[in-house]
Amino acid sequence: MRAIEARSLTKVYPGGTKAVDDVSFDVEEGEIFGLLGPNGAGKTTTIKMITTLARPSSGSATVFGVDASRSPEQVRQMLGFVPQTISVDGDLTGYENLLIFAKLFFVERGQRKARISEALEYFGLTERANDLVKHYSGGMMRRLEIAQALVNRPRLLFLDEPSIGLDPYSRMQVIKQIKELNQNFGTTIFVTTHDMNEADELCDRLAIMNLGKIAVSGSPTELKKSMGGDVLTVTVSGGLPDSIPKELGSTISSEEGVVKILTEDGERAIPRITDYLEGKGTLVESVSLSRPTLDDVFMKYAKAGITQETSFREARSARRSIVRHGR
Amino acid sequence: MTSPQHLVSSVLTIAEMEARKLRHDSTELWMRAVQPALWLLIFGEVFNGIRGLAPGGFSYIQFIAPGVLAQSVLFVSIFYGITIVWERDVGLLTKLLSTPSPRIAVVVGKALAAGVRGVFQGVMIFALALIIGVNLRFDPFDVAGVFIVVVLFAMCFASLSMTLASFLKTRDRMMGIGQAITIPLFFGSNAIYPVSLMPAWLQVISAYNPLSYVVDAMRAMLLTGDYSSLPLDIFALVLSTAIFIGAASMVLKRLIE
Repeated sequence: MRAIEARSLTKVYPGGTKAVDDVSFDVEEGEIFGLLGPNGAGKTTTIKMITTLARPSSGSATVFGVDASRSPEQVRQMLGFVPQTISVDGDLTGYENLLIFAKLFFVERGQRKARISEALEYFGLTERANDLVKHYSGGMMRRLEIAQALVNRPRLLFLDEPSIGLDPYSRMQVIKQIKELNQNFGTTIFVTTHDMNEADELCDRLAIMNLGKIAVSGSPTELKKSMGGDVLTVTVSGGLPDSIPKELGSTISSEEGVVKILTEDGERAIPRITDYLEGKGTLVESVSLSRPTLDDVFMKYAKAGITQETSFREARSARRSIVRHGR
Repeated sequence: MTSPQHLVSSVLTIAEMEARKLRHDSTELWMRAVQPALWLLIFGEVFNGIRGLAPGGFSYIQFIAPGVLAQSVLFVSIFYGITIVWERDVGLLTKLLSTPSPRIAVVVGKALAAGVRGVFQGVMIFALALIIGVNLRFDPFDVAGVFIVVVLFAMCFASLSMTLASFLKTRDRMMGIGQAITIPLFFGSNAIYPVSLMPAWLQVISAYNPLSYVVDAMRAMLLTGDYSSLPLDIFALVLSTAIFIGAASMVLKRLIE
């Protein structure tokens, strides 16, 4: 059975803003599915519609075959949701947070204590269980939120930007624990993120969303393959021409003297691109060749208009916009 | 549909959540008791010297004790909307609404927590009244009755406040509306002066002011022992509480959309 079937989901906010525009996708039971895209792409609104927190303007979402609009409480019984902002209650202890939410999820009285102890142990929070959560570090709070999933045992767990604001060590731990939750308990996981390395490492399949629509979906390997060719990273000094000819490749990004160009045959393209740029008065300092990364896939699809004809200036402003919003 | 057991359990869990927070830090409760204490100790004592201000041969301080209790419960509950907006801002409300517990359980649980805070105010005011020798009817049934009215009243205004928060959506606006509601309600009621002293237009307003019914019920139980208008007072209170709980449950989701 499919964990999620979204069909033509659309959300129009009062005032006419179309946050989600005719989005359809499936999430298979047991997989880790990633929804990527810049802020404002419609990821959180999509999650809200599936988790019954917002009503779709049109279209439908089913969770394990249950319609989210018709049976919201039944759907919520199957879900866990970790919102973008840290949402544990700082005025309660770690233990109390788990207890209260176990009760709100109707976890049977006989199972509560054992599950809470197990979750605290599993996430390394036992020693701090009776401290008020406001004295926890950001990483510990995030782990406590994910620990709730271990207590309530949802079939489907939503994580909205789970590693945002975490230091690299905490981030690594959170990713590891999400994976373990998926592998050891069979929890289907739906995650949104800006971090392409994280998505690459974590997700079985992902979809890139932009301007309310899904631009592309597939496994990380498929998506990287679909880019075709090689990525040339060219470091230059001096002014750049407005664009490069189509036959040389397409610009993925341009930022502070570093230009990334997607080209069919990288080795052959190096002298041609170097010649072209130097012919335009740009001094090429170095060129390196690599296979496309998920970051490149994201850059290609996350901003509408980055096409073969894209100019360096547009690519640069697109990149800046995504970086700025991503923070 | 949620089963009645699940509904009751969710309501009690939300109230428990609030009670646990108060147990960890009860500073707010003690601070909130300062204002009614000042009303009794300063305002009450000063006006106590004026004869004939309170009807029925009671002293003025006896007369305003129920009014001060009602006012302090009003102040505690009307700012519940600010709490819910804050919980929205930190993501806690989203988390609560994503549980299988029904919306109405969140509203009733929070409203019940306002009731618990109100009861604490009652205990403090009764204790102060005993210390300074204000003669009230401390019959157990009357005191229990007053606490029931306190809980209902707190639930009523906490729900109204949550309803307003769902439309106003920011803490600043809620601060503004809180002030704009509480002061006219307080001065347009029989809390600190009898209706007979009011100009005619204010008497009309007072007749539609829910605070007047609450004060009336409390005065019947704590002072006069005349229960004739009690059924009407309780009916008005239960009806408005039910209406505001229903309204808040329906619109609360607006806060996170």
